[in-house]
Amino acid sequence: MFKLPSALMAAALLCVGPAMAADFGRPATEAEIAGWDIDIRPDGQGLPVGGGTAEQGEPVYEAKCAMCHGSFGEGVDRWPVLAGGEDSLTEDKPEKTVGSYWPYASTLWDYIHRAMPYTAPQSLTDDEVYQITAYVLYLNDLVEYDWELNQDTFVEVEMPNQDSFFVDNRPDVVNTRCFENCADPAALQVVGTIGGVSPTGHFKEDSGVASSHYGDDAPTDEGEAVAVALSADAIAGEATYQQACLACHGSGIAGAPKVGVKDQWTQRVAQGLSTMVEHAIQGYQGENGYMPPKGGHMNLSDEAVAQAVSFMAESSQ
Amino acid sequence: MKSLYEPGTQDLMQAVAKEASQLKGSDRRDFLRKGLAVAAGVTAGAATPAIAKGNSADMAPNVPSWTKQLGRGVVARPYGRPSDFTDLQRRTVPWLTASPESSISFSPLQDLKGIITPSGLHFERYHGGIPEVPPESYQLMVHGLVDRPLIFTLEDLMRMPSVTEVRFIECPANGGMEWKGAQMEALQFTHGMISCSEWTGVRLSTLLEYVGVKPEGKWVLAEGSDAAGMSRSIPIEKALDDALICYAQNGEPLRPEQGFPVRLMNPGWEGNTSVKWLRRLEVGDKPWYHREETSKYTDLMPDGRSRKFTFVQETNSVVTNPCPENPIKQKGFIEIEGLAWSGRGSIKAVDLSFDGGVTWRKAELKGLVIPKALTRFSFKTEWNGEPWMIQSRAIDDTGYVQPTLAQLREERGTNSIYHKNSIHTWNVHANGEVHNVQIT
Repeated sequence: MFKLPSALMAAALLCVGPAMAADFGRPATEAEIAGWDIDIRPDGQGLPVGGGTAEQGEPVYEAKCAMCHGSFGEGVDRWPVLAGGEDSLTEDKPEKTVGSYWPYASTLWDYIHRAMPYTAPQSLTDDEVYQITAYVLYLNDLVEYDWELNQDTFVEVEMPNQDSFFVDNRPDVVNTRCFENCADPAALQVVGTIGGVSPTGHFKEDSGVASSHYGDDAPTDEGEAVAVALSADAIAGEATYQQACLACHGSGIAGAPKVGVKDQWTQRVAQGLSTMVEHAIQGYQGENGYMPPKGGHMNLSDEAVAQAVSFMAESSQ
Repeated sequence: MKSLYEPGTQDLMQAVAKEASQLKGSDRRDFLRKGLAVAAGVTAGAATPAIAKGNSADMAPNVPSWTKQLGRGVVARPYGRPSDFTDLQRRTVPWLTASPESSISFSPLQDLKGIITPSGLHFERYHGGIPEVPPESYQLMVHGLVDRPLIFTLEDLMRMPSVTEVRFIECPANGGMEWKGAQMEALQFTHGMISCSEWTGVRLSTLLEYVGVKPEGKWVLAEGSDAAGMSRSIPIEKALDDALICYAQNGEPLRPEQGFPVRLMNPGWEGNTSVKWLRRLEVGDKPWYHREETSKYTDLMPDGRSRKFTFVQETNSVVTNPCPENPIKQKGFIEIEGLAWSGRGSIKAVDLSFDGGVTWRKAELKGLVIPKALTRFSFKTEWNGEPWMIQSRAIDDTGYVQPTLAQLREERGTNSIYHKNSIHTWNVHANGEVHNVQIT
């Protein structure tokens, strides 16, 4: 509980305006401000003296960043992808990386310095921050390997997507308050959810909540062509499916559940997406067959496997 | 009573009814697997009044056991807690994020009444976990383009003139999983990134007046002391308008999850700007363009360009009863309820449709109607097993009408992640089950 003398509070309330002036706070010293004032702006304001090249940054990145962001900035699991994604911003699955999306290099320096590495924020030296920043820019083909990023060269970095941001112009959509004949009932399309993506552990069996919410049944059925909206992950997983999974899961050989045959997937989907993904990544001995780890495609990232699983499961609802 | 949908919607409703009958079929398969307990629930379902599930020894005409013994005395629980018979919980969707320290949990809107979210059920969003900040070591530094850079202690802040206001906080990603299609079979997950509390603190304008903002000061950087060092650039207009430096929530000190001991609170704006564990305010002449206002919290449009500084949470609403977690268990009277809110002001009206948006009726606003706060609405009617496509549409006092999903997608595509405030649809099946659907 806060401890505050009530007399003081009453005094404060009477002292609105100039009379308040001497009562609150104390001057912040330059040293105190210097210790906390860490922010960097696009014009370079706030950058400390120092510098580093991508070449110097590579071993630091490998030691402190690659375990989450991947050696090439490709991202491990759901950790942020840092590189690539050029020209993807108008695609179905945009890849918003430092190179494809971030408008300012200063943001990278500021964020690495204030919040990275994830488990040890504000532990890097200023030179290390310059080095890692340079390396991430290098992974995005924005600077040369041996080019030194420092407080003076900083403004030379050109970020490809810098001019693509515009200030909020909402309200952008105008609806009207209609009461009768507001839509053509014959033209309405009803699309249900994808089974198996909602956490359902709290839907108790005696709660009256439909068992169809547990993930083993969606309100669709064979023979009824109801459109299923694929998740972003599933859409992203289609390419991996075509390349690595189709051979077995397209035909159902070796006991593999065949994509599109709902009955072969309902029980698997009911186990939850994470279990299916785990089995797909680590391998699984089922009643009808054996799923080798990653289907034998050990070059696939875990994320790619997970996306392919989403694609197969959602396409089989 | 009069049918809630027009004859012209018969085809759609028949299609819905067909879906419902198919569901029942699959429930029958369930019955074979799970046995009688489930089957009893399914067949009883919505058709018959609820049968009491309690212990008959404690029910009339018997005198309950708790009546025949003393209960707990005072301060047996110095800080009380919910009844052991309740189970209200924040919940998360594990696959959304890489780690729980940088993740989100959702308020159980389906279980709540009124407009105030209990502090312990306020949704959570952190980018580097919850810091434990000892209040005696707390400092708020205010500097930059000011006449007098100062450091305030918690006691300083609590001595200053204070205000108390009921305001919602909403994550701009609320509903963001559903841009491409319906995904979440639960109200908690479709809309639970919003909560509403009574907040107490000092107006930021009071603080800024006190330190003296120089004429060239146009932006304020708000920075947290958490491991993410969360930072956002706030325009001076908002800082001098209704922004609050908060130290209390619902009458007590902030919860650690909400920024103990001090957070910024920008009423009606995306929750991310209401920086928690606030340690520093710097006045500057330009925005800083930090990570959470460039890489994140910008809205990607179909042409590949992006909106920045999309601060306002536009008018939104959702029906909370019925919903997937609250199926209709009994025919007859039902009070449809829901929540509406607008980051631009007060909710002026809420309309309901039972036929997927073909016809609409006016709901009534229930209880307190407060600007930039959750507002509850109500509609009393009967349900007799007919399938519903139930929707709510909120209107705020600027005249803005909550848009349809089709309208939003037409303008913004499906990749903007944030600010999805479109009209939501629950499909009530003939057996009372409620499913999340999208109407296009």
